Amino acid sequence: MEDIISLEGVSYSYYDKITAIQDISLGIKEGERFAIIGANGSGKSTILQIMNGLIYQSKGKYFFKGNEVSKQALRDNGFLRFFRERVGYVFQDSDVQLFCPTVLDELLYGPLQLKMEEDEAMDRTFEVMQILNIENLKDRPSYMLSGGEKKRVAIGSVLTMNPEVLLLDEPTNGLDPRTQCFLVELMFALSEAGKTLVIATHDLSLVDELHTKVALLSEKHRTEKIGPSEDILRDEDLLLQVNLIHEHMHYHGQAVHSHRHSHHVYHKH
Amino acid sequence: MPFIEKGIHHFAYVIKTGYIQWENASKDHFFQRIDARIKVLFLVFYVIIVSVKKDIPSEALIGAFVFILILISRLNLVGLYKRVLFFGFIFGFLIAFPSAFNVITRGEIIYPVLHLSRPYNFWIYRIPKEIGLTMEGVYGVMMLTSRVMNSLAISFFVLYTTPFPEIIKGLKMLKVPDSFLMIITLSYKYIFIFAGTLADMHLAKKSRLAGQVSNAEARRWIAGRIAFIFKKSRQHYEEIFKAMISRGFSGSIRIYRGKRLHARDWVTGITFFLVGVLILWM
Repeated sequence: MEDIISLEGVSYSYYDKITAIQDISLGIKEGERFAIIGANGSGKSTILQIMNGLIYQSKGKYFFKGNEVSKQALRDNGFLRFFRERVGYVFQDSDVQLFCPTVLDELLYGPLQLKMEEDEAMDRTFEVMQILNIENLKDRPSYMLSGGEKKRVAIGSVLTMNPEVLLLDEPTNGLDPRTQCFLVELMFALSEAGKTLVIATHDLSLVDELHTKVALLSEKHRTEKIGPSEDILRDEDLLLQVNLIHEHMHYHGQAVHSHRHSHHVYHKH
Repeated sequence: MPFIEKGIHHFAYVIKTGYIQWENASKDHFFQRIDARIKVLFLVFYVIIVSVKKDIPSEALIGAFVFILILISRLNLVGLYKRVLFFGFIFGFLIAFPSAFNVITRGEIIYPVLHLSRPYNFWIYRIPKEIGLTMEGVYGVMMLTSRVMNSLAISFFVLYTTPFPEIIKGLKMLKVPDSFLMIITLSYKYIFIFAGTLADMHLAKKSRLAGQVSNAEARRWIAGRIAFIFKKSRQHYEEIFKAMISRGFSGSIRIYRGKRLHARDWVTGITFFLVGVLILWM
């Protein structure tokens, strides 16, 4: 099967000085669950922003469904619409994503910009509100929502565009366990519905739960390894090397002991 | 640093009043349920009437009508009229008061204030021998003050009975451009976010302070924080722009037009219109 998203030797640096990512090559298949993991500052969000055509690589090439995505290509309105309809991005900071007067407007924003008829957009919006259980919030402004509610609305604002690919930047960050659990279930449901999920995270338990394919980034902003989550999460030396796990010391009764701590299945005694 | 504390508390107050506005406006009383478009039209129509009428009894009549509306809406009368009086005093009475004297408005002196030995001429101005309040001047001040107070009362009435997002939709009906409405919405939202950031920054500093800080140092800190907030808001707007692009923004914005008007909206709108026409005719 052809890759829906393909990066070939992509590099990006901020202000042409600070390297964000270097020579990244990866391919994502249609309907795949794909996680980009790495320590803080390794370049996960930058890769997602390039995948969404928000910033442009300084080197290398990015292909979406076989079409090269570049500043030039996105100037063509036909391709821009084709691309935006198919790739949705959920930002890490929901406050950034929620800029409309009410939750209802927020969910309607995407479909209306894509020139969808108001009635159709409204039907889709109510469907998404039901899925996310946010119908009671529809008339609320975004600054009157809790963190978990904001995240649901932010996801809803992308789902109403019904994209084929969902880019999620640290989706579980700062959420309570219940909302995290809801999100994991939602991601499974979206994956089963055939959506391609690309998740940038350093939450190893999320990667483990979702059984994704993983691209592991090093602190030198390069891909260290790409493979199934089981293989990568089992390689403790590699995870330690990229600073995703650490040596952890704690008490068991009176005895103190230390071990590598990754907060998931490898926390064995 | 009491002045910093005071400033921060004021910001906290901004958040609180914003929330109270939302709470009040969302209450399920009659006028709170009327469509925002009717209320925005009411606001524009009545502010025009207030400016067009040239006699105090008409202004008093409008004031009484708005008072009844506020009563029916079960708003906090004291709180609302305290604001109306405060702003009415500053922007109506104080600004217009000098024009009550015969130095500015010629006419019959009803309350002499000062006697000079002789009149003075200065450039194009003439200061008369006797300075005092004139009948025409006092009437003018009363007129302007009542206009300002009525306009304020009408504005507060609409603001307190309509959630902010609904006001935006009402403005949309008046053909205010979507991009302008988006700017208002974002600005309103970021007052909340940055007021919260500012309060957090102050508390973070306070938690690390053990002794007294000089005023000069406090001022330096504030200057630094202003620059920080400025940079942060710039970063934020860049991120928001990306979020807008990501969801299909390509220069022009389309906002949902809103629901249809109910029978009660039509009845209220027509009543407001008829009362307005009656006041204009009187």
